[in-house]
Amino acid sequence: MHRGRVTGPPDGGDDGAAVRVWPPVVRWGHWALAACVLGCLLQRDGGSWHERMGYTALALALGRCALGWFSSLRHLRFAAFVHGPAATWAYARALFTRSEPRHLGHNPLGGWMIVALLLAVTLAGASGALYVTDRYWGDDTVHAIHRFIGWSFAVLVPLHVGGVFLTSILQRENLLGALLSGRKRPAAPGDIDLDA
Amino acid sequence: MRTTFTAMTACLLFASAAHATGLATCDSGPKTGWQPPAKLEQALKDKGWTVRKIKEDGGCYEVYALDAQGKRQEAYFHPVTLEPVPTKPR
Repeated sequence: MHRGRVTGPPDGGDDGAAVRVWPPVVRWGHWALAACVLGCLLQRDGGSWHERMGYTALALALGRCALGWFSSLRHLRFAAFVHGPAATWAYARALFTRSEPRHLGHNPLGGWMIVALLLAVTLAGASGALYVTDRYWGDDTVHAIHRFIGWSFAVLVPLHVGGVFLTSILQRENLLGALLSGRKRPAAPGDIDLDA
Repeated sequence: MRTTFTAMTACLLFASAAHATGLATCDSGPKTGWQPPAKLEQALKDKGWTVRKIKEDGGCYEVYALDAQGKRQEAYFHPVTLEPVPTKPR
């Protein structure tokens, strides 16, 4: 690909024609959620900060779910980025032949990762909240469930970050930057803008 | 998928292994000199506590309980003297 200096960077840089994909609520929400999950893992023996960050993460995840169901912004909607097994598998196969289409929103694999992460945060938050009730305080089963879900982030988060990194390279687009600025380069022919 | 499952299982096993939280440590020597946890449980019951779980952490007994006021407690006790051990604030 020819990288013209005059026409602006083709790799999703800050050219004037970039389209807004991620609104501030999603960007700020994402980084706050990431900080809370990391903080909870660092403070993994519990305590008041673990609880505060856990409740915040739970609220953020539920808020993101509400956006996924009710937002009028199309890229935020679950219906736009959660695909069936066939479409997801087709995208995964296309990755191996380097023929995968560029998605302006989440690609099918990324979409399932969002679902997995939101589910994990919700279950971790719910089981943690249950554990600090009088009834389940010290309960081995609830503790084990909470711990298992908590450690699942040690698998999910590297996969999530790895997927973002890989897609950034394959699509020659800085997705980390897109989650800071909210902007991505406009859809080209063959790109998928609206998945619904 | 299998890799994910294996990794999650490994995480669970790792997380399940007893680990010292560093909240408190007791210089309690060999376990042969420890008092049995049942004795600690009885002493706490006599104080009006509802004991949920007693485990070991940092050479101490770590107790999950509701105290006489019904407040949740995660308290540490020396296994030889059964005296309460202050924990680091957090």
